[in-house]
Amino acid sequence: MEKNRFEITFLLLVIAQILVCNYFHFSYYVTLSILPLLILCLPLRLPTVWSLLLAAAVGLAVDMLADGVIGLNAAALIPVAFVRKTVIGAVFGSGVFARDEDISIRKHGRPKFALAIVLVQALFLAVYIPLDGAWTRPLWFNVLRFTASLALGEAASLLLAGLLVPDDRKK
Amino acid sequence: MPKANTVLTKVISAAVFILLEIAALVMVSRSGSLQSAGVARLSHRFAALAWGGSERMRDYFALQQRNRELADEVFTLEQALNVYRERERHARADSIAAGYAGSRDFEFLPADIVKLSRNKQHNYLILNKGYEDGVQPQSGVITPRGVVGIVTVVERYYSYATAFQNTDFSVSARIGDEGAVGPLRWDGRSRRGALLSEIPLQARFAPGDTVRTSGFSAVFPPDIPLGVLGESRIVNGAMYEIEVELFEDYASVKYVTVAGNTGREEILALENLAEE
Repeated sequence: MEKNRFEITFLLLVIAQILVCNYFHFSYYVTLSILPLLILCLPLRLPTVWSLLLAAAVGLAVDMLADGVIGLNAAALIPVAFVRKTVIGAVFGSGVFARDEDISIRKHGRPKFALAIVLVQALFLAVYIPLDGAWTRPLWFNVLRFTASLALGEAASLLLAGLLVPDDRKK
Repeated sequence: MPKANTVLTKVISAAVFILLEIAALVMVSRSGSLQSAGVARLSHRFAALAWGGSERMRDYFALQQRNRELADEVFTLEQALNVYRERERHARADSIAAGYAGSRDFEFLPADIVKLSRNKQHNYLILNKGYEDGVQPQSGVITPRGVVGIVTVVERYYSYATAFQNTDFSVSARIGDEGAVGPLRWDGRSRRGALLSEIPLQARFAPGDTVRTSGFSAVFPPDIPLGVLGESRIVNGAMYEIEVELFEDYASVKYVTVAGNTGREEILALENLAEE
C-alpha cells in the first residue's frame, strides 16, 4: 500500500511537471523543475541502473508531452540519477545504506534535505540550461537563469518533498 | 566476492549512464536545429581536445628522436658556418691588405688566437697558423683597430707571438699623417693604455690626434690606426711622453691578421751589408 502510494505520488508529480511545462511560463529566466527531487527521493534499494532507466523514461515523457526538445530533460536528469547515491551518501552519511532506510526530512532534518536538493537541482540545471540555449546565450544570461531556476526549484521541491519521503507520508 | 560485485555494478552503471546520456544528446541534436549545431560544436571541440592531446603525447614520446635530428642539424649548420667564417676571415685579410696603400711588400693571412695571456707584464698569444700556412717569424699580428703582437716562434701548425701588452714590446708610431714618430709601448697598467715617447719638443700635436703605425719597421705595415693622444708631459727636459688610448681592446680580440713582410730578407741583407 505504502509502495503504491509512492508510485502514485511519483506519477502525479510527473504529470504536474508536464502541466507546468505546458501552461506555466514564468519567465525566460526561470525553469521550474521538480524532476531532480523525484529522482532523489527514489527508494535507496533501487539499483542505480534502474534509476538511470527511470530517469531517462521520465525525462523523455516530459519532453514528448510538454512539446519541448526531445531528450533535453532526459539528458539533464540522467546525470542526477547517476550521482544520486553519491549525493545521499555525502549529505546524509553512508549509514543510510547500511541501515537500508530511505531518506527522510524528519529523521535527517530539513537543512540536509535542502542541501541534497540544491546539489541535484544544480546538476540538473547545469546540463539543462546550456543544452537548452545550445551554447548561444551569453554567460550572464545563463548564470541568471541558473540562479533564479535553482531558487524556485529548491523552494518548490522543499514544499513537495513531504509528499514523497516515507516518514512524512506516515503522518 | 561482494567487493567484486560492487565494482562490476559500478562499471555497469557507468556504462548504462554513458549510453543513455549519449542517446539523450543524440535525440536533442536531432530534435532542434539550434541544439543540433550546439551538440555538433561540442563534439567537435571534444574531438579537437582528444586529438590534440594524443598529438601532444605523440610529440612528447618523439622528443628523443627529434633531439637527435636537431643535434645532427646543428652539426651540419656548424660545418657550413665554419666555411663562411673562413671566407669572412680571408675577405677581412684582403680588405686590410687593400686598406694599406704602402703595404705591397706584405702578405696577409687570417688567424685565430687560440690562447692569450692577459694578466702578466710579459703577455703572449698563440695563433692557430704555423709555417705550414706560411707564417714567418717577425711577422706582425694586426687587426683593423691596432697591432696585437709580433710572431716570434713558429711551429708547424701554431705560432707564438709576443703581445703588445708586454713590457718588451714597442712599435714605431706616428702622430697624424705626417707628424712626429716615436716608439709606442704598453703602459703596463691598463688594457687600453699606452705611452708614446721620444717625441721632440718642437713637434705639434693635440690631445685627440690619431696615432698610426709609421711603417718604419719591417714588421708592421704603415698607417694602421692605433689610438688617440691624451695628456703629455716633458721627460728629462728634452722629449715628450704622451699618453695614448688604444682603439683595440686586447681582452676581446679573437680574430687577427698575420702581416708578413716579403722583403724582410732583402732588407736585413742590405742592413748587414751596410754595417760591414
